[in-house]
Formats: sequence, structure tokens, C-alpha cells
Amino acid sequence: MPKPPPEPAAPPPEDAAPPPEASAQPPESAAPLPEAAAPLPEAAAPLPEAAAPSSSDPTFTPYTLKHTLTHHKRAISSLKFSENGLLLASSSADKTALLFSTTTPTTTPTLLHTFSGHSKGVSDLSFSSDSRFLATASDDTTLRLHDTATGSHIKTLTGHTNYVFCVSFNPQSNTIASGSFDETVRIWDVRSGKCVRVLPAHSDPVTAVSFDRDGKLIVSSSYDGLCRIWDASTGHCVKTLIDEESPPVSFVKFSPNSKFILVGTLDNTLRLWNFSTGKFLKTYKGHVNSKFCISSAFSTTNGKCIVSGSEDNCVYLWELQSRKVIQKLEGHTDTVISVACHPTRNMIASGALGNDKTIKIWTQDED
Amino acid sequence: MNASIIDPLQGDFPEVIEEYLEHGVMKCIAFNRRGTLVAAGCSDGSCVIWDFDTRGVAKVLRDKDCVAAITSVCWSKYGHRILVSVADKSLILWDVVKGEKISRTTLQQTPLKVYLHPGCSTPSVCLACPLSSAPLIVDLNSGEKTVLPVSLSDAGNDPAPPLRNKFSDGSAPFTPTAACFNKCGDLIYVGNSKGEILVIDFKTLQIRGIIPIPGGAVIKNIVFSRNGQYLLTNSNDRTLRIYDNFLPLRDGLKTLDELLHNSEEEDELGKLKAVGSKCLTLLGAFQDSITKVHWKAPCFSGDCEWVIGGSASKGEHKIYIWDRAGHLVKILEGPKEAIIDLAWHPVHPIVLSVSLTGMVYIWAKDYTENWSAFAPDFKELEENEEYVEREDEFDLMPEAEKVKEFDVDEDEEVDIMAVEKDSTFSDSDMSQEEICFLPADPTPDTPEQQDKCVGDSNQTESPLSGEAGQNGMPLSHASSALEAVENSAAEENGGSRLKRKRKPSEKILEVQEETMKKPTQKSIISSKSSKTKNKY
Repeated sequence: MPKPPPEPAAPPPEDAAPPPEASAQPPESAAPLPEAAAPLPEAAAPLPEAAAPSSSDPTFTPYTLKHTLTHHKRAISSLKFSENGLLLASSSADKTALLFSTTTPTTTPTLLHTFSGHSKGVSDLSFSSDSRFLATASDDTTLRLHDTATGSHIKTLTGHTNYVFCVSFNPQSNTIASGSFDETVRIWDVRSGKCVRVLPAHSDPVTAVSFDRDGKLIVSSSYDGLCRIWDASTGHCVKTLIDEESPPVSFVKFSPNSKFILVGTLDNTLRLWNFSTGKFLKTYKGHVNSKFCISSAFSTTNGKCIVSGSEDNCVYLWELQSRKVIQKLEGHTDTVISVACHPTRNMIASGALGNDKTIKIWTQDED
Repeated sequence: MNASIIDPLQGDFPEVIEEYLEHGVMKCIAFNRRGTLVAAGCSDGSCVIWDFDTRGVAKVLRDKDCVAAITSVCWSKYGHRILVSVADKSLILWDVVKGEKISRTTLQQTPLKVYLHPGCSTPSVCLACPLSSAPLIVDLNSGEKTVLPVSLSDAGNDPAPPLRNKFSDGSAPFTPTAACFNKCGDLIYVGNSKGEILVIDFKTLQIRGIIPIPGGAVIKNIVFSRNGQYLLTNSNDRTLRIYDNFLPLRDGLKTLDELLHNSEEEDELGKLKAVGSKCLTLLGAFQDSITKVHWKAPCFSGDCEWVIGGSASKGEHKIYIWDRAGHLVKILEGPKEAIIDLAWHPVHPIVLSVSLTGMVYIWAKDYTENWSAFAPDFKELEENEEYVEREDEFDLMPEAEKVKEFDVDEDEEVDIMAVEKDSTFSDSDMSQEEICFLPADPTPDTPEQQDKCVGDSNQTESPLSGEAGQNGMPLSHASSALEAVENSAAEENGGSRLKRKRKPSEKILEVQEETMKKPTQKSIISSKSSKTKNKY
């Protein structure tokens, strides 16, 4: 069956949406798709465990809500902890990115800097490995590089011709990869701020980019239903992963050892793929994800979990091996669009869309 | 670690110039052990470190006392230090991360080639091969220098009378002598002017073996492969020779002692030659029998499969590539500028060549797009094939398709943490932290610089002169800084008007946004979802 012609890149369906306050959560109102709206979150969760509010595993200490940060004026779009665990950064549709200090485990994260300067909403951000720099990707088609110590703006990376949707530093932090609605992935030299490579990556908006642990490979995902693996040094396509049916791929990320990729698709599914063999290993279901590019994370500080946001306003935790939902974190009042796991502490940060606008910090109680 | 899925057919040799590096006048180059950084010595005494990923300058090492040309550059094993030899007869040891000079040692003669001792992460001992005297071991901390023996007579371990007069006629003191360390640094291999390879104990500096090279011509270069298995010599008879190293990579010295002990030869020379014959055997010799060119800067490929040598003819940029067996496989021809140095990337099929003009050319494979990487369900055909479809090929058979359901055992344990050791660098000492990258310090955009630069440009030049300079600006290392000045000058051009202009434009943007109502990020819904629905 022929595909319907690709829509003109991205002109937002929210064009006619009401003024800012009301439009802070445009997707909900602008998603009049009967299919998407029909299944109620509860009904869409086929696993009985998923309905249980807390853990089904007696050895698992549940996460509890510790702090709620209400600084952002509009929907949160992305959250990241720095590699040293001392910083948490958030981006929002309110055109800013915020930097919080998470130095002390128990106190509320304190706001260190507000990075403004983008003329449109910020969609994603990434820390350099040494936590010195923060890159932000915005709908204003640019990326901006900020100094986390001083809060100052260092560079603006221009070149994309449409919304920049995702960004990632390589582990060496000498290059940045960004994915855009212009369907390309661009590689930027951090020192000069110049675009060194344009990858003709996909035939639809690029939803996520991620480097492997030694920076040799890049994985990108797109609405075209594909994940592609790229040789970071040459920009050559190394592999394309394709599923039988190809729902839009909303998220991709390498596993900590970079042997697998975690792939989110807009059919309420997260999968762990072995990208060398092209086969999937694990499927995680139970959450609701059919509309938004919701980020997921590997939690490795206490057991191994997959953590993801969901359109039923919860954060889901699955045990890596058994694929069972071990906890659902409830508290947000809108779709949880982004989650981040602290690199060393048992701490999860989650951020939600415009009806909620908050960042919540969850921790496991230590006995 | 993920090298395995990167195209396996790429393990070849380079074919075309992919890019070039330009920064001052570069004279010599060296990759670090991983091939992530390249150090280049310049004619002005500075040493540039390139980030080979981004092909950008990561650092410049410069010493105000050193303005003479760099003759050779060498990394320490784990990349913490760089040693350069300078035409003003000095050796400078640098701390790479700090960018600071650790020591400077002056020699009697101009050093042409230096090697840091490979067995240590912060070496302070090096091997220097000067222009016209025997190679030296130099302690860079104390400045102590020890001359290596370059023939049996001056080794002093046994000046056998019958040999003495043979050497008295002239172990010509004014011929360059090549030398290098073996892989772990317990032995030094010296190629002398009589066409002999001497195996010398690094500790005692005694000759432990002698291998005469056929023809006996002066040895100009001597170099080991990365894995320590092969030795390459370049002699004045226009021939490169490749030797197989029979000594074990570790404890080579012990094996040598045993060989020496078991030798039945009576005289010292015979004994050493007998030992020598058990250390190295000639595998092959490469020359161009038609043009009879001299070779320049020969070296091995990272995987030791190939050998390259530059033609030393003037005005010619030719790189010869042979396989290890001695078959010429390719001649790369560059611009009409002589080659002065060559380096093969430790891992990839990439060669760097330094031209007389000071440019570095990057030779890489001529990449052809692997289309099946883009569409795994497509098959690439060499030529057209007539396809005959199966009788039932397009019949719908729901059951059969069901069977195709994934045979995946999702309960199988997966390990998302364990990392395998990189086999390419199996000699890594895990306790040593390796420096593969230098932190990238982005140069701030002009607005930040404006404050600094505007004053300058006001004082020194009119706004217009900044523009004029742009055209005539030579490509140089300072170009980015200059650019910044120009940009700010250009902004200054607009003067105060610019500041006023900016505000409205910001407002316009806001207005535009208001009217456009861009989607909150992460909300790519649109008709996409309906499209996918259609496909079901």
C-alpha cells in the first residue's frame, strides 16, 4: 500500500491554538485522532501488575516523591543529570533551560542558572561529560552552548532548517550530534561551533540521537519508523533497524555498555534491541505512549530497571530481566514527557507537560 | 568495541586525499596510540595537537625560547607527554594536558629523530638520533647523555683484536645512524652506516646481536611495526627491507642471553652474528627497479599488513603501498610537493603525509555508499537479474505468517553493563589512565567577545578595514581569532544602530511565534499518527 505523502515537515497542527497559557499543552487539544484518544490509559495497560500502584516485588524498595520543582512556566521537555551527579538540567517550552544543584541528596535542588536566549521553546539538552557545558536544542532551529559554571552563553550553532528536536554530546565531548524536524542529523565541532557533517538521516523528523560509550557510533530514531546506526567518525550509515510494522520511533538510546539500544515506539512499546544482530531481546509494555516523544532511561544504581514516562501521567519502572512493572510513580497531572536517573544515587527526576509543568524528584528510602 | 559492525570491508589501504590540515608550516607528525590525536611539529618551533575526530586544533604547545624548526615528534605510550626534537639542537618534553614544558635539554648535534622510552607512562628517558653522530640515550631530567655503540669496536664489551683494524679505517663518525626501541623498550635496534643492525641491551648498552644487511649500505631509517613483530629498514641502496622478529615481545633480553650462552662460535663477532640470525630474518625487500627512487619515512600500517614509503624525489608526492610479502599494491599520487613525513593511523586505513609546503594531507579509502545499510530488506545486486516469482509468492497465507512470529526468548538474561576489553589495544595497562582526548574549549561567539574586541578595533582600525582584511587574510592558525575580530568589527559597523535594531527583531519573533503557535516540543503528532494508522 502506498504511503500517504509525507506531510510538509512540521508546520504545527497547533497553528490555530489559543494564546500561550491555554496552549501550554497544545498536543492534547490538537490531537483529535480517534484512535489515539480512544483507549483509556487504564484500558491500554494489559498487564495486571501495571495497575498495582506500587511494587509487586517484596525486595524492591519503592520510590517516593521527595521534591516538586515549579520553576517552569510551560511544559517540561527534557531532563538530564550531569555525569558527576551534581547538576540537574531541565528544558521547557517556556524557551528556557534551568540548571539545578543536586549536590546534597536530601535538600530541594537549588536553582543555579537560568539559560534564556532561545526565541522559541527548548526541546532537549545534553551535558558534556565533564559537566562543564550544556547544549540546548530549540524550535528556533538553533542549538546553544552554555557554560554551567558561569551560566553564560558560549555559542550558537546554526544550520538546521527546522525545529531542533534532540541533542547529544559525544563522550569525548568534542562533538555534538543534533536531530531535527529537517530530517537530518548534524554533527558539530564543539571548539569551532561549526557543523562538520550533515547526515541525510531520515525521511521524517528525527526524534532522538545517542552516542555509544566510546563515541564511535551514533544511533538516530525517526518518525519514519527506523533506527539508524552511524559511524561517528565518517558519517557513514552502518546499519538500519527495521521492525515488521514500523510505528514512528519516538526514542532511542544505547545501553550503558552500548551493546543494545532501547527503542520507544508510538505503539505503547519499549524494546531492547541487539543492534548487531538486528533482533529484539525484551519488550516492555503497560505504559501509554502513542503521541509524544517520551524519554526513557536505564536505572542501574540499585538493581537494573527501565524507567519511562507515560501519557497516563505516571512514571513506569520495569525490572530489566523479567520485564515486569515493579512500580508506577503517581503524582504528575499531565503526560510525563521525560525521565532521568541519577548516575550514582537512587534518584529519578521526571517532568511533565503543560497542565502540570513540574519537575518531580523521586528517591528510594534508605533504611 | 563496536568496531565489528563497522563495515568489515574497510580494512584496506587508503586511496584518495580526503582532507588536509593546515596550520603554520608542519614538518613532522605522529599519531597518539589510539589515533585520536595527531601531534605535528612546525617550522616555527611550535607543536600543534590536532583532534583527529573533528580535525580541529586541540592545543598548541609553544615555547618562547624555541623558534627553530621541529625535526621530530613522539608521544609517550599513554599520551601524557610529547617529546620534540628541534633544529636548534634541543629536546623539549611537554606535558600534554597542562600544555607546559617539563624540560629542555640541549645536545651537541641536531637531533633528527627522537623516541620516548615506550615502557613507561611518564617517561623521562629518550633515544635521540642526531644528524652526525651515534645515537644517544638522554635522561631528560638530569640531562645525562650516553652514547650508544654503533659498531662492535666501540661497544667496548670485547674489543677483539682481529676486528679492530677492520674498523679503524673509519666507522665514519659523520654519518647519520638510525635507531629505535623495540615494543617494550628493553632493547634498542641500531642501523649503522656499515649496513648492520645491532641489537643493544637498553640497560647495559652492550651489543647482543648483529644482523648484516645484504649490500651493506648505510641504513637511513629503522622502524618497528605497532605490534612489535616486524622491523623495517630503509637503506641507501634504495631498498626497504622487512624483517620478522623472532624474539618474544616480553623478556626478549632473556632469550638473547640464552642464545648467546648456547652459541658455539668462538670469536665475538661470529657469536653475535649467530645470535643475530636468530633474532631477525629477512622477509622481503621492496624497491622500484625502474625509477630507483630513494625512500622517505617508511612505516607499517596499524595492522602491520601493509608497508608504505614516500618517494624522495623532489617535487613528487608519491606514496608506495606494498603488502607485507613485498607486492606493490598501489601508488598514491598527490600534489607536486615533496613528501617529508608519513604516518599510518593505528587503527584505520588512513595515512597522513606531510608535504614540503607544510600541509598535512589525509589519505583515506574512497568510500562507496553501502546502500544495504540504509535498507536492510534490500539486496544489492552486481548486475541485473531476471526475477521469477514463486507461484504462491504473493498469496496471502495468514497462518504461515503467524508462524513467522519472533522466536525470541524474552526471558533470556541480558547484560547491559559488561564491557569487553578492546582487543586492538591488548597491551593496555588498565591501571594507567590514557589520554585520548583533550577537553574541547569552545571559543565563545562574537557577542561575548565584542566587549573585548570592540575597543581594539576602534583604536586600531576603522570598521571598514576589518572587512577589507577579510579578503586578504591568509589562512593561518589565528584565523578563527581574526574572524572573531572581524565579526565584531562588522557588528561594530552597524554601530549603535545595531543595538536598537535588535529589540524590534526580538519582538517580531515573539509576534511571529504568537501567531504561529509552534508546537510544544515533543509533540510531533500531526498527521503522522494517522499515517501509521493507515498502514495497518
